[in-house]
Amino acid sequence: MNSRLSFAHAAIALAIAAFLALFLVVPVITVVYVAFTNSDGSLTLSHFFSFFHLTLMREAFYNSLYVGGMSVLISSIIALPLAYFTVRFQFRGAILIQTLGVLPLIMPPFVGAAAMQLLFGRSGSVNLLLNEWFGFSIPFMDGLNGVIFVEALHYFPFILLNLVAALANIDSAMEESAQNLGASGWRLFRRIVFPLAMPGYLAGAALVFLKVFDDVGTPLVLNVTNILAAQAYLRITSIGIDDPIGYVASVIMVIAAVVALWGSTWVMRGRDYATLQRGGSSLARRRLKPWQALWAYGWIVLVLLVVLAPHLGILLLSFSKVWSYSILPDTYTLDNYVTVFRDSSGMMVNTLLYCGIAAGLDVILGIAIAYLILRTKLPARQWLDFIATAAIAIPGVVLGIGYLRTFKDFQLPFTDEPFTAFWLIIAIAYTVRRLPYALRSCMAALQQLHVSLEEAAENLGATKNRTIYRVVVPLMAGGILAGFVTSFLTAAVELSATIMLVTAQSDAPMSYGIYLYMQSIAGRGPGAALGVIAVITVGLGTYFSNRLIRNHAASRDAQLLKTGV
Amino acid sequence: METGHKTDTGVSVDIRNISLSYGKTPVLRDVTLAIKPGEFFALLGPSGSGKSTLLRLIAGFNQCQSGTLHVGGTDITNIPPWNRNIGMVFQNYALWPHMTVDQNVAFGLEERRLPRTEIARKVAAALELVGLADFGSRRPNQLSGGQQQRVAVARTIAIEPKLLLLDEPLSNLDAQLRLHMRVELLALQRKLGITTLFVTHDQEEALSISDRVAVLDGGVIQQVGTPMDLYDRPASAFIANFVGTINVISGTVTATSSGAIFESPLLGRVPLPAAVATSGSAQVAFRPHTLSLAPPEGQTAPGTIRIAGTIAGREFLGEFIRYNIAVQGNHLIADQPHYSGNIEFLPGSAINVGLDPTQLTLLPT
Amino acid sequence: MNRFKLLSSTLLLCLAYAGAWAQQQVVIVTSFPKELTEAYKKAFEAKNPGIRVEILNKPTPAGVAYIREAPASNKPDVFWVSAPDAFEVLSAEKLLAKIESPAKEVPAKIGNYPINDPKGFYLGQALAGYGIMWNTRYTKANKLPDPKEWSDLTKPVYFSHVAMSSPSRSGTTHLTVETILQGEGWTKGWRDMLMIAGNCAAITERSFGVPDGVNNGQYGIGLVIDFFGLAGKASKFPVEFVYPSITAIVPANIGIVAGAKNAENARKFINYTMSPEGQELLFDPQISRLPVLPSAYKKAPPGFPNPYTGTIKPKVNFNSDLSESRYYVVSSIFDHSITFRHKELVAATKAINEAAAKLSGKNHPQAAQLLAEARELAYSPVVSEEKSKDKEFLALYRNTKRDAERTKQTTALEEYWSNTARRNYEKAAELARQAAALVK
Repeated sequence: MNSRLSFAHAAIALAIAAFLALFLVVPVITVVYVAFTNSDGSLTLSHFFSFFHLTLMREAFYNSLYVGGMSVLISSIIALPLAYFTVRFQFRGAILIQTLGVLPLIMPPFVGAAAMQLLFGRSGSVNLLLNEWFGFSIPFMDGLNGVIFVEALHYFPFILLNLVAALANIDSAMEESAQNLGASGWRLFRRIVFPLAMPGYLAGAALVFLKVFDDVGTPLVLNVTNILAAQAYLRITSIGIDDPIGYVASVIMVIAAVVALWGSTWVMRGRDYATLQRGGSSLARRRLKPWQALWAYGWIVLVLLVVLAPHLGILLLSFSKVWSYSILPDTYTLDNYVTVFRDSSGMMVNTLLYCGIAAGLDVILGIAIAYLILRTKLPARQWLDFIATAAIAIPGVVLGIGYLRTFKDFQLPFTDEPFTAFWLIIAIAYTVRRLPYALRSCMAALQQLHVSLEEAAENLGATKNRTIYRVVVPLMAGGILAGFVTSFLTAAVELSATIMLVTAQSDAPMSYGIYLYMQSIAGRGPGAALGVIAVITVGLGTYFSNRLIRNHAASRDAQLLKTGV
Repeated sequence: METGHKTDTGVSVDIRNISLSYGKTPVLRDVTLAIKPGEFFALLGPSGSGKSTLLRLIAGFNQCQSGTLHVGGTDITNIPPWNRNIGMVFQNYALWPHMTVDQNVAFGLEERRLPRTEIARKVAAALELVGLADFGSRRPNQLSGGQQQRVAVARTIAIEPKLLLLDEPLSNLDAQLRLHMRVELLALQRKLGITTLFVTHDQEEALSISDRVAVLDGGVIQQVGTPMDLYDRPASAFIANFVGTINVISGTVTATSSGAIFESPLLGRVPLPAAVATSGSAQVAFRPHTLSLAPPEGQTAPGTIRIAGTIAGREFLGEFIRYNIAVQGNHLIADQPHYSGNIEFLPGSAINVGLDPTQLTLLPT
Repeated sequence: MNRFKLLSSTLLLCLAYAGAWAQQQVVIVTSFPKELTEAYKKAFEAKNPGIRVEILNKPTPAGVAYIREAPASNKPDVFWVSAPDAFEVLSAEKLLAKIESPAKEVPAKIGNYPINDPKGFYLGQALAGYGIMWNTRYTKANKLPDPKEWSDLTKPVYFSHVAMSSPSRSGTTHLTVETILQGEGWTKGWRDMLMIAGNCAAITERSFGVPDGVNNGQYGIGLVIDFFGLAGKASKFPVEFVYPSITAIVPANIGIVAGAKNAENARKFINYTMSPEGQELLFDPQISRLPVLPSAYKKAPPGFPNPYTGTIKPKVNFNSDLSESRYYVVSSIFDHSITFRHKELVAATKAINEAAAKLSGKNHPQAAQLLAEARELAYSPVVSEEKSKDKEFLALYRNTKRDAERTKQTTALEEYWSNTARRNYEKAAELARQAAALVK
């Protein structure tokens, strides 16, 4: 590597580090320093000892680990068949299934939990039916298991998206050679396909784990408080007490996130999973035998039914006037949509703008960090990854307060407006909070890409930049798309930082509007309607970007066919 | 030999009337081919000729729309790849990066649920056979190209397949290694006696090691024969050109009682050694090294037809020099052995070309 | 590079747009639902053309943090939430400006509770009483009698049908708990509280979670603030609401933020909300709050409760000094012995109820003894009445400053409460099971 190049790399790395320092590290430290100090400002570690002295906190910690681990397991059971069947077999509606499979991510937190309660709760449709017919009910939504149930249904798309990208990147010869040696079916999957898709799977699984470990919304809606994130949140937001234990819990969550992340990279250490011929041999989608197809479709339909139940629930809710202790709503109406369109069309535009900016920045930062880590030898480059990913463990409230505190005296140039009142700060908060998603996807995609493909381009006279632009990025397209989509979708439903940072209703995004409507005693119909609109808008976006990538891939395959093989 | 093959254990392969198309693009058209037990058989053709498709079809990765496939007398047309027991070595080796060399080689044996000790024994034997006995604990990305290729071969022969398929097995190796490996492959095949089918686009590779060769083009089998058959009696101008370098002259042929006469402006009237069924326009072909060259004042060899021309260009190829000679608006290619003291012709100089009529091959039209 | 151009021009445009936004306005931070805030926004803007009302809806804790952290150049103007504790915190941090009540006819106290802040930093804008709300479909399907009093909710028949919030999450829930503690006394009050909590299907994190869950039938019965019940009913949900005889009526408050950017507009807005016209807006069925202005009740819809005429009246003489002195102690005890140990408490209650059912009508002194022990264990507060009056103990919780020593002491207490509660509940369940096993 020549020195000018490594200078450029270092400059980019420093720019990213500066961005992370300004918008993540400093704001968070201005808040969580509480965990290390007395109110007179003197440093102390005593709060940490106090924290570990609490049985409740240890319990909460183990509960968080359990919920995280189990959610990964259940998410995998849902996502693996969806990904495998649709990528590796001739499957009608594969794109549709993959798109539908992503929908749960767009479920805004309040709406999703409300819809799940209406369907699976103690007086939900399913239990009312069970009770009517069989005289018993199932506590789907109770306690830790309820949290696992809801979290797995909500976050399995992280695994699905990354796995689909990883599976599509596996050279089909890898699979064929195993078949040739006698492997088929489950064994083929377990021994060859799954291990080869491991970078993608781990990326997804790590995200699910981190997300569930740090999620506060779902447990609180289900009234589960004995987990770490809930304890941190409850203590930080309790009024009037300057309670350092909540901040200690936050710091410990950040550490746990970094450790989990480091663990997943440690598993992959020293392994070169790049398949040389990306798309080298056109992917032969196998045909399913009729009985296999029956099983596969049966399973997928069942999974999709459960997974999309909340969407069905909010759809019903959005058209309902009153839905109370009944299997279906009593009366139906279009009023909720009229209300929403009258009051909140600006929010839709805001959501698209903020999330577009955030996801765009996330992807750019994600590619840059992934490239610096996997393709350069810069010292301490791994820290960019750790710091960026630690964002996932920062409670939104903490980040929001941190921004308000850090940029308090910062004026926008040419105006007397404070920076904290400028809407861009919301988009930046989204960028920082959702960067870990895009980053994991970009890392997995680049990991699967063999360096020789880049060397070939450079050999043909392309500069580093041109190579990244013309070879790396297009070949990473699947992973980048997955990253963009997850960042975008999850930013669209971000609430905790949003609530802190909205300074004018005209700047509010949809998630704020949903929160507002869901607080209404007159029923959650308008909130559900806004939720449905959010799901449709973002879902359509996902579907079309998926199709775009597919068509691109299909035309490339067709060309390969023409030129030989 | 540990893997247990005897020369008489090779199986026959019977490909009957197989057609295959991707969508509307036909890739194989009515292909019929019989391969004898123990044969080292090459599928030769340019890229896009359908040779790899045919190989993958035999392995079970492609499904034909019509026709049948028999291996060792058994119809396997509808058997899935994992039940065929046909070994295949992939062009890029397809070694699994998440497994060590040992694990790669053991994979097929594990799928066959062999006892652990037997697997260990067979893995060791297979690696021994390819000369990689000490490499078992490495990962594929720690091996050189040639070593990876040997692992791929070891992995395949470890399962003792009844038929071995090689997809461009040498194309990813450097020239030196390629020569070495092809000799090794042949020796291995002879040792195991296993029927082997290999796909290549390199005519030299095909001619040098295979017992018989089938030439494919456009999804159709053009000719099947021993390397010498193909070389000496190509069935078409395409084969003649694809299998070595050749000169082709157009003219007319007339059947006579004793044989045939070929006539063209360049050659005049030339009697042909073989009889023909019909008269009409025809082509004759002859190899560059059958031509003799002489300076304009010198004589060509007795019994040859003398053609005057000019040297248009030359290539030094080590064992011989290849001259491109302009003759009456046509070009001929002539190879002259190179040894010290031999006369060298410079571009631009006039020359006499001697053509031995017995070396002419009449190409079917 | 077209995309970049597009992005950067959008950015510039939006910058310009942000700068051009310098109209007269008043910024209100509130936790109230949209129905209420929209009604006031519309009415006020119609009355004061040229002043735009900017509503920032945030949960109370986020609202407090927002006001605390907002830059001096851009402080919001009005803070408007139910919980008096939030106002106390803000006023202690000097984040509220003094305010004079524009409505002189508002009495100084309702019951024993001062309507306006005696120190003059915030005003009562509406009144609210706590009560019981239930879903009629739910109670019918589960054959539950209609509850009338807090003590009804301690009965086994309501097991797993009730829901309430936690005093640490909701200022109004805190008032309810404090009302019960003052009305029944410390020990008896906690006993009732623990029995009600043992009957709860959930201790919700947000106070709104209770009426929400009752509205949609998730829970049968909830402890809610009156307007949730009244507005739910008005919105055609199959719910009923009742004030129990022991209840507190307390103000929902409004105040001006210190250093407000539009202080003059803020005063105008607050004056409006206290005017007869502004007070009458509260009668809207979707809002259903009680005006503080006694004269406003002349226009009340028929059947609307009036705290000034005695249609509802607080029976407890609420001692707000006592409440304040042990504010965080009550919250913390509740969380550590109920919220975070709810699973164990419910299990104990279940075992006790089952044993009691088996024992009823039978004379089995040994089993009865065991059951009484179980009840004693499960339903005794982890802090005795004496200790609750201990000055030193209370001081620990009144000092809200964070330092290592204090944290060490409070966490040690929390640890003790939490473990004691769990041990008690587990032991109680065990004793109850033993009692049940004795009766065949």
